[in-house]
Amino acid sequence: MALRRERQCTSDRKGRPYAVLRAGSVVGALLVAGCGTETPSVFQAPVETEQVPTRTGVVLPPIEVQEGDGLPEALPDDLVWITNEEDPLYASPQAKRGGTLRTTILSFPLTLRRVGPDSNGSFAGYIRPNQFGPIALHPQTRRPIPALATHWAFGADGRSIYYRLNPEARWSDGVPVTADDFVYAVQFMRSEEIVAPWYNNYYTERIRDVKRYDDLTYAIQGASPMPGGEMHATYSFGPQPRHFHVLTDNWVAEFNWEIEPNTGPYEISEVRKGKYIVMERKDDWWGDDLKYFKHRFNPDRIHVKVIRDANVAFQHFLKGELDTFGLTLPSYWHDKATGEPFDKGYIAKYWFYSEIPAASGMYLNSEDPLLADEHIRFGLAHSMNFDHVIETVLRGDYERLSTFQIGFGDYDNHDIKPREWDLDKADAYFAAAGFDTRGGDGIRIREDGQRLSFKVTYGWPEHTERLVVLQEEATKAGVELQLDLLDSAGSFKKMREKKHQIAWMGWAAGGLSPGYWEHFHSVNAGKPQTNNLTNHANPEMDPLIMAYRVSATLEERVALARRLEQMVHDSGVVIPTFRVPYTRAGAWRWVKLPDWLGTRTAASLVSPFADTGGFSGGGLFWIDVDEKRRIREAKDEGRAFEPVTIVNTDYRRKQAG
Amino acid sequence: MNVLASRLKGKFTLDPLTVKQFKRFRSIKRGFYSAVVLGVMIVMSFGAELLVNSRALVVSYQGELFFPTYGDIIPGRTFGLDYDYETDYRDLDGLLQERGGDDWVLMPVVPYDALENDLQPGVYPPYAPSLASGHYLGTDSTGRDVLARLIYGFRIAFAFSFLLLLCNYLIGIAVGCAMGFWGGLFDLIFQRVIEIWNLVPTLYVIMIVASIVVPTFWTLAAVMVLLGWTAMTWNMRTSTYKEKSREYVLAARALGASNPRMIGSHVIPNTISVIVTFIPFSIAGGITLLTALDYLGFGLPPPTPSWGELLSQGTSHLGSPWIVYSVVIAIGLVLVMVNYIGEAIREAFDPKKFTYYE
Repeated sequence: MALRRERQCTSDRKGRPYAVLRAGSVVGALLVAGCGTETPSVFQAPVETEQVPTRTGVVLPPIEVQEGDGLPEALPDDLVWITNEEDPLYASPQAKRGGTLRTTILSFPLTLRRVGPDSNGSFAGYIRPNQFGPIALHPQTRRPIPALATHWAFGADGRSIYYRLNPEARWSDGVPVTADDFVYAVQFMRSEEIVAPWYNNYYTERIRDVKRYDDLTYAIQGASPMPGGEMHATYSFGPQPRHFHVLTDNWVAEFNWEIEPNTGPYEISEVRKGKYIVMERKDDWWGDDLKYFKHRFNPDRIHVKVIRDANVAFQHFLKGELDTFGLTLPSYWHDKATGEPFDKGYIAKYWFYSEIPAASGMYLNSEDPLLADEHIRFGLAHSMNFDHVIETVLRGDYERLSTFQIGFGDYDNHDIKPREWDLDKADAYFAAAGFDTRGGDGIRIREDGQRLSFKVTYGWPEHTERLVVLQEEATKAGVELQLDLLDSAGSFKKMREKKHQIAWMGWAAGGLSPGYWEHFHSVNAGKPQTNNLTNHANPEMDPLIMAYRVSATLEERVALARRLEQMVHDSGVVIPTFRVPYTRAGAWRWVKLPDWLGTRTAASLVSPFADTGGFSGGGLFWIDVDEKRRIREAKDEGRAFEPVTIVNTDYRRKQAG
Repeated sequence: MNVLASRLKGKFTLDPLTVKQFKRFRSIKRGFYSAVVLGVMIVMSFGAELLVNSRALVVSYQGELFFPTYGDIIPGRTFGLDYDYETDYRDLDGLLQERGGDDWVLMPVVPYDALENDLQPGVYPPYAPSLASGHYLGTDSTGRDVLARLIYGFRIAFAFSFLLLLCNYLIGIAVGCAMGFWGGLFDLIFQRVIEIWNLVPTLYVIMIVASIVVPTFWTLAAVMVLLGWTAMTWNMRTSTYKEKSREYVLAARALGASNPRMIGSHVIPNTISVIVTFIPFSIAGGITLLTALDYLGFGLPPPTPSWGELLSQGTSHLGSPWIVYSVVIAIGLVLVMVNYIGEAIREAFDPKKFTYYE
C-alpha cells in the first residue's frame, strides 16, 4: 500500500519515486519524504521538477516495420465496428461478494515480473490473468467478447485488427489505459532489456505492426491472414503500463519484486517472501459493469500460501486451512479424498467434463536409425497397451487420445482410430522390418544383432507408474523400453535438442485451432530448439501446412486441419497417449459454484481469475461467509450433512468406437 | 603335498592377537548375532532368484523337466500356451493343477519378481498384504510386490555400498598412508587438496549429474567414489604418522627395508584396527546415501527396485501403511544391525584391552 501511495503523488509519469530514491539523490529522497505532507523545513533549497534527476531509462526505438507490412497512416473509413453483447451469460446471479479464498502454490515465485528470466513459474498463473487483453474469449461460444476494448474491426488485408478501447478502463493506480500502452507493449516486448528472447522474437515475427490512431483507438497487424476469431486468439495482446516501467540494463533486477499496475479485478496487496502472497479485490474495478464480468470475481481476498509438498498441502485442505484442492489425479480422487470430511459432507467433490484441448503422446524421433522405418513405428504403436494402463493405474478415468491433438471443436478429426494393442499386428510389422526372431531375454533381435530396444525420455516421476506398466506389456511384443527419467527442464532440453529416441510428453495446447507448422513442418525438422520433436519432414505435408496457416476461411481451415491430422496418423511418428477430458476439484461446502459448475472449456472449476485454459471462464464461484460459520460449527459439534459428489457430463463426448 | 599343507597351515595360523579379538567379538552377543543374521541375509539375497521370483523353480511338462530360474526366457508355446512371450508360471501352475495329470510347477516362496505389475481387474493397487495372493507385505502403487522389491533392493543397496567401500578405502588408504609416511610438502599439498575437495557438496553434484544423464549403478558409484574417498585419508594419515615413529618401523628401516615393504608389512597391518572399525559405519553410510538419493529421485533409474523409491511411494501413499512400514522397519533393522556389528568390532579391536603401557 505504501508503495502505491508514493506512486500516486508523483506528477512525473516516468520518474517513479522508488527509482529516484534508489538513485541516491538527496533532492529526490526529500521529495518522497515530503510527499503528502509538508516540505521539511530543515532543507530549504529551491526545488524545481526539471532538476530532479528522474530516470527515464533507455529510449525505445519506434516500431520498425518490415517491407510489405504496415498499417495505414489514417484510420480507414470503411471499418465495420463490431462488438458482442448477445452471447449467453454464464455467471450465476446468486453469487455474493466477500470472503477469502485460501489457496496454495508449491514454491515461492522467483519474481513478480510478467516477462524476463524466471517469470514462467506457477505464480505467473496469478499475475497474468489479471492483465486483461483488448478482448476475451467467451468460454461457451468461443467467440470474442469485450474486455479492455468495446469494439473491434478487421482490416482489409485479412491480418489486422482495429480496437476501440473502453474509456473507463484503468490501471490499478488509476491511470487510464490508452492506445499508447499497446504501442509501448510492442516496443517493450521487442527490447533487449527485458531479457526474454522468446517474446522479442514473437513480437517481431508474429506481430508485424501496431499503430495508435487516437487515445482510445489502435490497430495491430499479424504475420499472416486468418479467420476473425482465430486472429484475435493468435495476435491480440495486452497493454504494458507505460507510466510504470523504466527500462534500463538492470530492469530485470530492479523490477523483480515491483508490483506492476494491472487491469484485472485483483491486485497484490501483501508479499511475505517465502511465506505467502495476498491479493485483494479492487473495490471500484472498471470492469464490474461489463456484461460478461458481472457476478464474477467474488472473493474479497485471495491468500496464496507456499506449501512445498503437495501431500502436506492436501493435509492442510483436509483440516480446512485451504478452501479447495484439485483432484484431477486418480489417486487423489479415489483414495486420498475419502474419509470423514467427505463422508460428513463438509467437503464437496466435483467432477466436470469439459472440452479441454489435449496433445500428449510418444513422439518418435524419425531420425533415429530404427525409428526411421515406418514398420517399426507402426509395430511400436501396436505394442503399447494404453488401455491396460487406463484400466489399472489410471483407474479408468483417463481416455485414450486418438489423434495428435484434439479439443478444438470442429477442427477435431473423429474419424481417426488410434492404433490398438495388437500383438499379431505388431508381430507382422516388426517382421517386415527384419525383427522376426527373439533373443534369449525375449526381446526381438535383427540379423545384424540389433535389439529392438528404445529409450523413452520423460520428466515427470509421477508418470513412471504408467510407463512401468507399458514397459512390462511391451516385452510381450518383444520390445524393450528403457526409462530415461530426467528432471522436467532437463528432459525438455534433451527433446528440443533432438537427442531423444522416444519423447514422452504433452503440449499445453491452447487457442482456438490446432497448430501444425511448429510440430511437423520440414523447416523445423532435423535441427535443435524447435518443437518438431519427431523430426518429421514430409514434402506432401509442407504445402498443406502453409495453406492451413494462411487460409482465411473457416471451412477450408477445418478441412485442412483434419487432413493434416490424418497425415500425422498415417506417418505413425506420434503415438497418442492419454487425454484427461475433465477437471476435478474438492471444495469446502462454503465455496459455492453455479448450478452448471463450469463452462464448456473450463480447465478448472475453482479458479479465482478470468482465464481458464485461454477462455474467460473463471471467477464464477463465491464464498458464502455465513455458510462457512455454520459448517464450522457443525464440524465442531460433529453434525453431518449429506455427502456431495457431483459428476457433470454435459460436455462429455461419447468415446468413439 | 604334506610340505605344502603344513606350510599353508603355518601361513594360515591365526595370530594369537587376532584370535583374542575374534573371541572378544563373539562374546559381545548382540554384535555377533547381528553379524550372523546380516551375513545370512546377504548370502540369501545373492540367491534371491531362487526365493523371490515370478519364474518357476522347476516345471515338469510332458515328462520333461525345465529349470527356468536362470538363463533365457521360455516362451509360452513350449508349455502349450498360445503366446511367444515369457511364460506366466503362476498361470501355468493354476492351469496344470486344474487339468490334473502328471505335469506340475514348483514356484519359489514368493512367486513375484521385483519388476512385475500384478494388476487385478476391478481393484486398484496398492494391494494390502495377503497370504492368499502371495503378496506377504502387500504391493506398491503399481502392483509390484513389496517384499520382492525390498529383497532385490537390499541386494543392490548392499552391493553398491560394498563397492563404494572398496574403492573409497583403496584410494583413501593409499593416499592417507602416503601423506603420513612421507609427510612434508607432499602431506601439506594433499591436505589442502583434500580440504578443497571436501567442500564440493556431494548431494548437489549428484543431483546435477542426475539431471543431465540418467545415472546408472556404475556412474552413480563413480561419482560417489570421486567425492567420497577423502573421508578415510585423515584417519590413515594420523595412524601412519603414529606408527611411523614407533621403534619397529625404525628397526625395519635400519635393516634396510624398502618403503613399500615398511608400509605394506609394518604400517598398514598395525593400522588395520582403525580401518576395520570404520567398515560397518561406511557400509551403513553407503546404504543411507543411496536410499536418500533414490528417495529424492536422483538415484538409480526406474524401475530398479530400491528402498528409497519404496519410501517415497510410502510417504505419498500414507493410506496404504504397509509400504512405509515395511521399508522403514527394514531400513531400521539393517542399520541397527550394522551399527551393533560396528560397535562390537570397535570394542573387540580396542587396543587398550591388549596392550599394557608401562
